[in-house]
Amino acid sequence: MLARMEAASIPAGSLPRTRHVGDRVGDGLLYGLTALAAILGVLIVLAIVWRVADGAWPAIKIFKAGFLWGNEWNVNRDEFGARDLIIGTVVTSFGAMLLSAPLSIAIGLFLSELAPPAVRAPVGTLIDMLAAVPSVVIGLWGIYVLAPFNANHTAPIIQSVLGWIPIFGGDPHTESTVFTAIVVLTIMTIPITSSICRELFIGVQSELEEGSIGLGATRWEMVKTVVVPSVRGGIVAAIILGLGRALGEAIAVTQVIGNFIPLRHTLFAPGDTAASRLANQYQGASTNTQIAALIYLALVLLVITFFTNYAAQRVVKRFEFRRTGGA
Amino acid sequence: MTKRLTILIAAGAAILVAATAATAKSTDTTITGAGSTFVQPLVAAWTPALGKAFGYTIQYSGVGSGAGIAAITANQVDFGASDAPLNEAQQTACPDCIQIPWALSATAVAYNVPGAPAHLKLDGKTISKIFLGTISNWNDPVIKALNKGANLPDLKITPVFRSDGSGTSYNFTDYLSSVNTNWKTKIGTSTQPAFPAGQGAKGSSGVAGLISRTSGAVGYVDVAYAIKNHITFAAVRNNAGKFLFPSLRRIEAAASAFTTVPANNAISIVNPPKSAKLAYPVSTYTYIIVHKRSAHAAELRKMIFWALTQGQGTQFAAKLTFAKLSANKKVLVAAEKSLKQIQAAGN
Repeated sequence: MLARMEAASIPAGSLPRTRHVGDRVGDGLLYGLTALAAILGVLIVLAIVWRVADGAWPAIKIFKAGFLWGNEWNVNRDEFGARDLIIGTVVTSFGAMLLSAPLSIAIGLFLSELAPPAVRAPVGTLIDMLAAVPSVVIGLWGIYVLAPFNANHTAPIIQSVLGWIPIFGGDPHTESTVFTAIVVLTIMTIPITSSICRELFIGVQSELEEGSIGLGATRWEMVKTVVVPSVRGGIVAAIILGLGRALGEAIAVTQVIGNFIPLRHTLFAPGDTAASRLANQYQGASTNTQIAALIYLALVLLVITFFTNYAAQRVVKRFEFRRTGGA
Repeated sequence: MTKRLTILIAAGAAILVAATAATAKSTDTTITGAGSTFVQPLVAAWTPALGKAFGYTIQYSGVGSGAGIAAITANQVDFGASDAPLNEAQQTACPDCIQIPWALSATAVAYNVPGAPAHLKLDGKTISKIFLGTISNWNDPVIKALNKGANLPDLKITPVFRSDGSGTSYNFTDYLSSVNTNWKTKIGTSTQPAFPAGQGAKGSSGVAGLISRTSGAVGYVDVAYAIKNHITFAAVRNNAGKFLFPSLRRIEAAASAFTTVPANNAISIVNPPKSAKLAYPVSTYTYIIVHKRSAHAAELRKMIFWALTQGQGTQFAAKLTFAKLSANKKVLVAAEKSLKQIQAAGN
């Protein structure tokens, strides 16, 4: 408000009357530079896709689409199939998303709508700082703190309640598990998703919120009927950003997941993901076929990431459409 | 005032010239290398001594054996270092690469079994079955038979392996392949074997850490790492029927049991014959890999010869738990002979 009043109080005479030549050059320059940056972004994406596809070509020729459902990863026999690595990637990432989405929305709501103002800033900053912790550090914490804690406490408790579901079967005292990888990824995605959710909720027009309270709505009804629905598309986008991080995370996952395939039918057993296998084997790859197979794996991961992002954009658009009625 | 300034400038210039001269002197004999993390401490110990002897600066990056082979193949470095000899594909990719054994060590079988004796005895067959997943409990009759009178708990065995490419995995699976044909056909010898059971961890420290936190775990780490970090390891039975811990003398005994050196210098010294009574059966050479045509041929010849001779001295090798190459004179002679093949590029 203040800024607007100040702007209005500037006397008209002090504004430049005519456009200088320099302005026109400046505008052109601005247009050129921004367009260049945008084109550069597109070119880099294309270059990455081309380079990865090119590197993967020898493996594509050998394994074809069978790579996707093959289950052997044997360097000695030069046989490579990515099925369990793809399943591992999807299970860990979507598992993390299932845990982190409700938590992140709750954190965002608490910090934007419910918490006393004195609490908002410090708690928000601390959660944001979690995003700055390097993944290798989170992985180390996963090895030394989280994995033993899960093996001794969390997993046995979950199994005693939900053990009848096959995915919670097996030996809960296993140290390196898919379950621990999911928890690590959850912790890594929460700061991303929750900080965007918080900003979204803050952005909801206060007139709307105040109006609903004025009409006798409780805080819960206000959140449920006004705050969340008006930014639903944004929430989905925030969750997908977190998912993107989870899909590609290599180091923290590799440190806790146990790097073992074939995958078992339980979360309380070692497994592996595409990114984790890449991080483990690329440097020490011993045959050209193995290198090509690893790049093929990277290509598959790239396609999964593109596909999730595309799906997310569709979802966001649909929510936008519903909210604005197609206007 | 101006006089003082002039003197200052002159002094500054003199220092600058001296500094550039000094850097120039050291840069013109920089030898770069990359590869095995296992020999990295040894190379690091050699570096200052080589600097003193010849004025060379050695820049070595421990990027892993496989990456080291890739780097020398692509001519990015003057030498590569690998714990596993070049395989067929790697030799084809780098036809003028030669490998020279330049250090000697072994792999220890570490375990964490609460209540078990501090000197658990194992043999090759049993270790291979544990890693195949067919022996899965510590009170298995086979393990009991090897450790008569020991109190072995009813505890699940968790095999722990290296998830990253590793020369230690190569040495370990080379041994298992030589004692169990089933292992040889199913899994084979590799720096990145497809282990059929257990959990993987990154690096020696990852494996050792996972073993120490998992009761019932068994895994493998290089001897230097195991001894330095006071890790409990098993006594492994050799062909003479003796259960032995790895030690420098026992590694040297294993090396001396093999009398023929193949033309490509790839010498496997696992599972030595019965005659080597005091040989530790999971021992290995580790190699330096160079191009026959090299821009730094003379320097490499000098450096490697030094590493093969003075570099094996107690203050370097034994201090870091590497055995002496001179344990097998034939290997040493073959290694020194190979040096002659390194010639200046363009000859």
